[in-house]
Amino acid sequence: MTQAHAHMGPHQPAISDEAYQERLDRLARHPALGEQFTRVRPGEFASMQHLLLGVGAVGLGLTVVGGFVYDIRHALAAYEIGVLAATAMGLGALFFVMVFHMTNAGWSVTLRRQYENLASMLPICMAMVAVALVIEIVSGGVLLRWIGMDPHSDHLLHHKSGYLNTTFLVIRFAVYAGLWSFLALRLRGWSVEQDTSGDRWLSRRCRFNSGWGLLAFALSTAFFAFDFLMGMDFRFYSTMWGVYYFAGAAFSSLAALAVMFAFLKTRGKLGELVESEHLHDHGKLMFGFTVFWAYIAFGQYFLIWYGNIPEETAYFIFRKTGGWAILGQVLIAVHFFVPFFLLISRVPKRNPKVLGALAFILIAAHVLDMVWIIKPAVGASGELAPMSWWVDVAAVLGVFGVLGFFMLRAASSVALVPMKDPRMEHALEHCNYV
Amino acid sequence: MSDAQMKPGTWARDIAMALGTYVPGFARPPARFVSERGQPVHGIVGEFATPAAVYHAAEKVRDAGFKRWDVYSPFPIHGMEEAMGFRRTFLPLLVAAIGFSGAGLGLLFQYWVSAAAYPLVVQGKPYGAWEPFVPIMFELGVLPSAFAALFGMLMLNGLPRFHHPLLARERFLSVSDDTFFLCIEAEDAGFDADRIRSLLEGAGARSIELVEDDA
Repeated sequence: MTQAHAHMGPHQPAISDEAYQERLDRLARHPALGEQFTRVRPGEFASMQHLLLGVGAVGLGLTVVGGFVYDIRHALAAYEIGVLAATAMGLGALFFVMVFHMTNAGWSVTLRRQYENLASMLPICMAMVAVALVIEIVSGGVLLRWIGMDPHSDHLLHHKSGYLNTTFLVIRFAVYAGLWSFLALRLRGWSVEQDTSGDRWLSRRCRFNSGWGLLAFALSTAFFAFDFLMGMDFRFYSTMWGVYYFAGAAFSSLAALAVMFAFLKTRGKLGELVESEHLHDHGKLMFGFTVFWAYIAFGQYFLIWYGNIPEETAYFIFRKTGGWAILGQVLIAVHFFVPFFLLISRVPKRNPKVLGALAFILIAAHVLDMVWIIKPAVGASGELAPMSWWVDVAAVLGVFGVLGFFMLRAASSVALVPMKDPRMEHALEHCNYV
Repeated sequence: MSDAQMKPGTWARDIAMALGTYVPGFARPPARFVSERGQPVHGIVGEFATPAAVYHAAEKVRDAGFKRWDVYSPFPIHGMEEAMGFRRTFLPLLVAAIGFSGAGLGLLFQYWVSAAAYPLVVQGKPYGAWEPFVPIMFELGVLPSAFAALFGMLMLNGLPRFHHPLLARERFLSVSDDTFFLCIEAEDAGFDADRIRSLLEGAGARSIELVEDDA
């Protein structure tokens, strides 16, 4: 151990450098870690990437068209449905990467690189959110209507104006973007660096940064959700809101990654590295966060329903009238009951293709959740065009297409698993036994 | 119950056997086989020297179609569940059935009390409002589920028990040290002493003995 590492841990590691080198040599010879399973040949996914980029370009183009057919509210809402759903996926992936580092998880090592790739979409998501933020500020409040309002015109807004002002919003956004980009890119960067160097102290550094990172993540995610979702109705407040967004983030990131694993497995990648055993546990997390979302979503609704305070209930009352009530019931069905009964059995969790197919339902549920939050806010600020749903579809496909392109590019540029992770052998032998 | 209704491997016999073993005042059904000394037969046990030997013996016993038998080892043997042909337990279905009935009963009783039997206006909420029912439905779902999982598991694996016929044998005690045993029980529908003896001999058992149930 060099002096530079002295501050980072015990002076004597559990196994000597020679023994550790032997472990790396064993890994280097391991047939499962062969080039054909862990590397994407240049251009191997090109057709899928071009397809995704095409869908992305057409989708985002149609979103702009939607802005002219209807108005900027409809287009921006559609765009934010896509962007905030995708941001949630990146955040969930970042959360799991940090949890895996913090808990020194062995089973998930062969999965972790894809989590890192998805988390590394956060800087792109932040750029997309920045576009929305600029539009909001330039047009004086489209969905975040408080931006264009005189604080003295509303008592509650005046009361909250210390927090709800444009300058502070931009500062906060810069903090979120900087923090998440740093964590996502550095945790992936150190992991990729370890692929070649095999330096086990990089794992230690990841764990150290995951510690404060998780705390900062919890706070920043909550406030991001307050700013960009709850802020659409400045009178409404819910202390559960951050947890609600986080629950959707964890839920949707796992679904997106299940699709990614199914895609890689069907293309002959990963082989024995990601087998039924790993996907079984990945599926258990999907099931767990299905229940977690239902638990906190109901908890939030339940307390507001019981408390019966007008500023809080207005949010739900508006979403329980007209067509929104049906949407809300569909949301409860596809975000909780359908995944609950599909994922409770072990059989679908152990089959990559079935799990990947089910994950599309979960992704759809998450997008629907964003629709249910954001779309009524359009109606609250004026007439809602009933046929404008095609803009939402276009924008969601557009954003997901662009990010899918970058996700595949990220996956192709590095190894598909952390090749020299100290815990790799645990993951290779991972077994559920029951 | 007559003997005809108490065929080996049936639920009726299993329940009668469990009652006779654990509940005072109940008699166990008569033993299917009796040893030369007149004692009921628990089963036939084969002794093996290595994990590999008992593993392959287990595969043979599985393929011979036996259902009531077990392998005893000082440590877990990797892959033994496949060698023994374990089927998945139906415990999850039991838990689901009890959990969902619990939640359903919770809903039914609360709705009946608050909307039909004794309607009370609480905080101006509607009588049949589903929201306050949910926490109690949840509790009545998870608590019986947990009980079903714990007690169902104990019911299915026959624990706790204070004695086991194999433990009365001096030679069996080395199972906690360096010896591996495979015991086919007399409760198995296909129990046939000669057949089992030749099966275990063929599988390489270094000694084969009849185990009496001395309880």
